[in-house]
Amino acid sequence: MKIVSCIKPVPDPASRLAINETKTWIKDQDLTFVASEADNYAIEEALRLKEKHGGEVVVISMGGEESARVLRSGLAMGADRAIHLRDPKFKGADEFAAADALATAIAKDGGADLVLAGVQSDDLGTGMTGTMIAEFLGSAHATVVVGVEANPESKSLRVRRELEGGINETIELPMPAVLTIQFGINQPRYASLKGIMAAKKKEMKVWSAADLGLSDEAAGKAGAMYEVKEIFVPERKSKVEIIGGSPEDAAAALVEKLKKEAKVL
Amino acid sequence: MIFVIAEHKDNKLKSITSELLVFAQRAGRDFGQPVSAVVLGENTTSLAEELKSKKIDRVVTIDDPQLAEYNPDAYVEALKSLCEKEPPFLVLIGHTTQGMDFAPRLSVALRRPLIAGCVEYEKQGDRLILTRQIFNAKMNMKTAVRGEPPYFATASPGAFPGDEVEAGGSAEIVPFSVSLTAPGRRKLIERVEAPKGKADLSSAPIIVSGGRGLKEKENFSLIFELAEAIGGSVGASRPVVDAEWLPREYQIGSSGQTVSPKLYIAIGISGAIQHLVGMQTSRCIVAINKDVEAPIFKVAHYGIVDDLFKVVPALTRIFKDLRQA
Repeated sequence: MKIVSCIKPVPDPASRLAINETKTWIKDQDLTFVASEADNYAIEEALRLKEKHGGEVVVISMGGEESARVLRSGLAMGADRAIHLRDPKFKGADEFAAADALATAIAKDGGADLVLAGVQSDDLGTGMTGTMIAEFLGSAHATVVVGVEANPESKSLRVRRELEGGINETIELPMPAVLTIQFGINQPRYASLKGIMAAKKKEMKVWSAADLGLSDEAAGKAGAMYEVKEIFVPERKSKVEIIGGSPEDAAAALVEKLKKEAKVL
Repeated sequence: MIFVIAEHKDNKLKSITSELLVFAQRAGRDFGQPVSAVVLGENTTSLAEELKSKKIDRVVTIDDPQLAEYNPDAYVEALKSLCEKEPPFLVLIGHTTQGMDFAPRLSVALRRPLIAGCVEYEKQGDRLILTRQIFNAKMNMKTAVRGEPPYFATASPGAFPGDEVEAGGSAEIVPFSVSLTAPGRRKLIERVEAPKGKADLSSAPIIVSGGRGLKEKENFSLIFELAEAIGGSVGASRPVVDAEWLPREYQIGSSGQTVSPKLYIAIGISGAIQHLVGMQTSRCIVAINKDVEAPIFKVAHYGIVDDLFKVVPALTRIFKDLRQA
């Protein structure tokens, strides 16, 4: 089975984010980038499926040096090779333009039996890209996946999806397919020292927009379906009353308020 | 025309449908666009009748045996066909597991914009500006859709007040027929409810809930001690359950249980949107967190911005004393 796992670099969750001068994105020059958390579950699931059924795991990412970094960590976890979509023209892509480029690259690489992506990213967080890749590739898909069983002989998958209200459903779908992987499906492994050393010898293809045959109108910001007008920190809707003082005083004041003001005790 | 894609289950409209109708009624007025509810399914008559009672212009029904169970292939094919025949201005879909399962495919199939997870909209000149949350609800992003309509948007659950939907219309019910080419590729095997058991939080009057801020499994005892002292139940955020500190039935949020106790105490929970959706209707919300910018403070009524390892034991002591008094 050939499995492609998509990785999006996002600012390290511990970083303090600041809005840039044009208010269209965050100041990202000095940030450390890591793989978006849900993508780690997707890579782990890809590696487990390969361990069970054989084949290869290819990691793919679009971006600059930060993408090279997350791809190297994917290789260190055990992926066989990487594809890096690197071109200034990719900058400013929205989910649509990103999915277009990723799907084109996957097709150029000979397609895949299975494409995995995190259920949503830690930055835009809309959960669109994986599903859009499925439409660009014309393959079946399933979202919010919490369990995967593959049957390479019959080219089919049995996956468990998480629906609202604690309901799970099991569905069957044919391969090739795209799955968006939910947090907690597994425990992602850490890269071993041996894995990190081995990663250095693994193949990393670097493809530009021209390599993918993408026109200037289709790549990055030019290919985006929406324009970012403004990023801002939202005003609080409910006015929270912050209770100050030492931990003991704050706790005592809180209990008083819950009794007398909110009347919930 | 603004289309609202009605979401339903067991022949009942889901609450997100009313929220989408509120969005549509407001946007319809601002942009001078009539509103149509679109209901896909099999035997949609009673759903159509219910939608007809709202103040909208039309109810479009797409009735087909292949739509009896939700499947993305059939949904995309049917809605693509509708949007090509009568190009709407805007199509509103729930930012739900179901909505987000087909909306991105529809957007790509028609090569038109989709803005997902909208919490607000505005009109700037003639342009539609949609606001959505990014960075786990720490920031908002205003976007302007590009090119010609139709535009697609999914609305976050809870963003529009479903109880403000205007009733009293005389909408006409218009069937739209599609000839779906092939059965969907997806086959449903089974659907199971998560075990609730002793952690059924839906009727608990007080819930003390812990999150990743507790750092490790052993520290979760702080939550249990406080819950016992206050006479409440214990809940948890998703990362706690994913890390296997507690079983899945304790999880509160869009993929866990939805709760609305009279008192909800969120400890070391930053408040990802999925968690907020599951608890924001609680009558009184208390947040204890070191990070003043944590989104949980946006829904909280009272907050303590301090180290939970100092505040929680202090609270537990007070409640223990109160009990003994």
